[in-house]
Amino acid sequence: MPATKFKNIFIEGPVTPAFIAEKILAHQDKVNIGAHSIFLGQVRADEINGKTVTAIEYTSYEEMALVKMHAIREETFSKFELTCAHVYHSLGIVKSGEISLFVFTSSPHRRAAIDACSEMVERIKKELPVWGKELFDDESYKWKVNN
Amino acid sequence: MKVKVLIFGQLKDITQSASFEVTDVNDTNEIIERMNNVYPELKKMKYLVAVEKEIIQGNTILRDNFTVALLPPYSGG
Repeated sequence: MPATKFKNIFIEGPVTPAFIAEKILAHQDKVNIGAHSIFLGQVRADEINGKTVTAIEYTSYEEMALVKMHAIREETFSKFELTCAHVYHSLGIVKSGEISLFVFTSSPHRRAAIDACSEMVERIKKELPVWGKELFDDESYKWKVNN
Repeated sequence: MKVKVLIFGQLKDITQSASFEVTDVNDTNEIIERMNNVYPELKKMKYLVAVEKEIIQGNTILRDNFTVALLPPYSGG
């Protein structure tokens, strides 16, 4: 873990359903919240040239990603009426069918929660120095390309 | 002067190493030139350059202990 004053977003391996449930539960005492929006990115078993993706291995320039994520978070808070926002991204191996990105925004009202969540997901994919390596069933690999 | 160079993603497949220490360089162009000499395959690759965690647009003067990173297109999420 790099020494940084910025909030860590990275977790080793997949984001588990239990972890997601725990995070939802942790918001039950924040009764000014009226809406949560959750995005879950799941690893797809894409078929590329007859080979199937079995997992994605994620790496990142963590220190830079956390600085960038901090800026994205600040900008999102200044743009939308948010109570809180949480982001978790996997590093290392995440098998197909497992969750690799968890974005969770909360607001008094649904529109802000939904729009902020959607904007954060787009920015995370575009602006965070994270790389996914698609691993195939025959042990070869291909570097993932984001659309 | 000593500068650290970090390599990520598919660029690391070419260099085989994630980090280099480079001495006696003045700017980012010199770093790229040196990397290209050792790893000609890098010339074909598309990437951004960050100095001290900030993406740079053109050639940038370096100072002692700066970190330069070569970043291929992102593919997180």
